This record gives sequence, structure tokens and C-alpha cells, in this order.
Amino acid sequence: MWQFPVSDQVPQISGNRQACGNRFDKQQRTFIQMRTVLKVVDNSGAKKVMCIQALKGKKGARLGDTIIASVKEAMPNGKVKKGKVVYGVVVRAAMQRGRCDGSEVKFDDNAVVLVDKQGQPIGTRVFGPVPHELRQKKHVKILTLAEHIA
Amino acid sequence: MASQVLPQALHMIPRNQVQPFNPVKNRGFSAFLSRGPSPLTTSKVSVSGFHSKFPVGSSFSCFARRGFVVRAESNPEGEGEAEGNENGVEEPEMKAKAEAEVEGEGEGEDEAEEEKPKEPRKPRIKLGDIMGILNKRAIEASDKERPTPDLRTGDIVEIKLEVPENRRRLSVYKGIVISKQNAGIHTTIRIRRIIAGIGVEIVFPVYSPNIKEIKVVKHRKVRRARLYYLRDKLPRLSTFK
Repeated sequence: MWQFPVSDQVPQISGNRQACGNRFDKQQRTFIQMRTVLKVVDNSGAKKVMCIQALKGKKGARLGDTIIASVKEAMPNGKVKKGKVVYGVVVRAAMQRGRCDGSEVKFDDNAVVLVDKQGQPIGTRVFGPVPHELRQKKHVKILTLAEHIA
Repeated sequence: MASQVLPQALHMIPRNQVQPFNPVKNRGFSAFLSRGPSPLTTSKVSVSGFHSKFPVGSSFSCFARRGFVVRAESNPEGEGEAEGNENGVEEPEMKAKAEAEVEGEGEGEDEAEEEKPKEPRKPRIKLGDIMGILNKRAIEASDKERPTPDLRTGDIVEIKLEVPENRRRLSVYKGIVISKQNAGIHTTIRIRRIIAGIGVEIVFPVYSPNIKEIKVVKHRKVRRARLYYLRDKLPRLSTFK
């Protein structure tokens, strides 16, 4: 006798949902590009800058690259004011950067140190950890000011 | 095809295209047969798979007449593998075709036996095992220089790394293993730690020669294989003195 199928199996819908959900479970961090807001980690006076141009790279800047940024938020008396266009060196990026020995490093936030056109930092202190990729990029001054080299 | 996978030069040359539908076949066959072994100048065996008989009037589409000349270049190491592959290549051909020339196959095998040096039969290394064997060897080689402890997710480890740029001292990295990806020699672990207020995750290849020491300091009970939830939690949970 034909019986109505008992639905004690896993319903079909949940299978599909699983397939769709997986794509967004994994965090995929990308480059620092135009309109990316970064934290400033030196004592130059700025607090937040927005990237307006990545100087190297078609897709955007990565850890250790230089960017041109516009100051969005600044301390009242500091060396830079709001609205100023500055250069910056990315010292922390949420996107992983591979090293030549096969290791990768990534930080929890995006941070930048303001520099002048020649690459010398404007501030006198740098907060937080910095990677030692900066040595290869010849930002030795930032490395010496840093609290901790990751 | 097998010829593309093997590093030793094992060439398969399609001998002949599909013949047009003409009922007069025997002449073509004999010519084909006679042409078979002559242009080959290599010392190694060449096996030509072909058929000689076609039932007259049957559809030719099933029996695409294609003969292959398999040449193995003189390479004493790969002899065992090459010979194994030759046989493997022969067999599907023979099975696929309706009738095969038994003599030709017999000849090929005899020649192969002669050419092989007289040694007891080694167990054949299958293609799928090669990467596993290579990885195992590489891991053993790296273990000889520096023993690697057994690492699991949730271990709090301390890694001493030699960085070529930082020539003075070994860098020390401490943190909790939040994931371990097994890939033979490129097995990696991801270490998370809060450094100076910012969370840092570093992926280390476990068998890297730059790593001078790995030590498991503590273990935290976790009920997951990947602890990515620590990224959203309080920094206190990822801090290690």
C-alpha cells in the first residue's frame, strides 16, 4: 500500500542554505584602496585618514606600501589638520602578507604612519606592533620608533 | 594521459587516423602492418597496438582504427615504471578493441622482458602514492635536524624563529594555535596573540628550516578545530604573557 513518505530525513532546503552560507563564512580581507579609512598610530595629531590613492599596485596597497590620504579626523592641536592631504606608510593591514619563508602575517586592523614626501615620519612615536617588512622597504626610522616589531 | 604525467619521455604517437569507409580493407592492413616497426630506430621496445581483422560490412564507427607506437627512451631508473605504464597503456587498448593481434602483443612483452635487467620483481609504485612518499621523506629529513612536537589546536606554543633580516637574535613568537592545516611538508599552524593591544595572527610552516624551536607551553581545552571565534571575543582571551 502506498504510504505518504515520512519526513524524518534532513529536508532539502537546509542543504542548499549550507552551500550558500559557506561563501560568506570565510573572511576575505582585501587591499587598502580609495575610501579606506585607516587608523593613525603616531603622535602627528591625526586620528583617522581616508586613503585616496595607493601609490603602488593596481588593486590597492598592502602592508608596507605608501599611500596618499586625506585627514578626516584630527586632534585639536597637532602637526596636521583636518582636510590635509598627506602621505602614509601602511604598518598594519587586515590582509595577510606573505613572507619569503612561507609564513604569513596579518593584523586585526588597518593602521598607517604619516610620513612626508621623503619617507621620514612626521610624528615622534609609533604605537602598536609593526612588521619587519618595513626594513626591506627602507622605513628604518619607523622601525626604530616602534614599540614592538612583530 | 599517462604520457603527460610521467617525467620520463614516453611518447604516444597516433599512427594513423580513422580510415574512410571503403570495403577494400585487406590491402590497407597489410601495408599498415609492414610499415609498423621500420621507422623506429630506438633500441628500446616499441609496442604497436593494432588490429588486423575487421568484419566486413560492419559499422566502422565503433572500431576507430588507430595504432599507437609507444616508445620509452632509455632511462634505467624509470624502466620499472615505464614498463609498468606500457603494459597499463596496452591493456585498455586491447580491451577496447574487439579483436587484437595476439602475436603482436606477445612479441612486445617478450622484448620487454629481455630488455629489463634481471632482478626480482619490485612492488610497483603507483602514480597516486608518489606525492605521499615524497612528503614523508621530506618530513623525515626535517625531523632529523629538528624534532617537531605534536601540535594541536588549542596549544599555547612558543616558537623561536631565525629571521635572515634580523641577524642578531632569534625572534620569539608566543600564542595559541587557532588552526592547523595539514599539507605534508607545508603543514602550517596559525598562531594568534595580542601584541601591544592589537591582535596579530601569523601562519608558520611547521617544517620550515627557519624555525629553530617549537615548544608547547600549555594547552587550553577547546571544542573546535579552528578557533576563529577568538577574533570576535575579548582580547583578554588571546593574551599570553
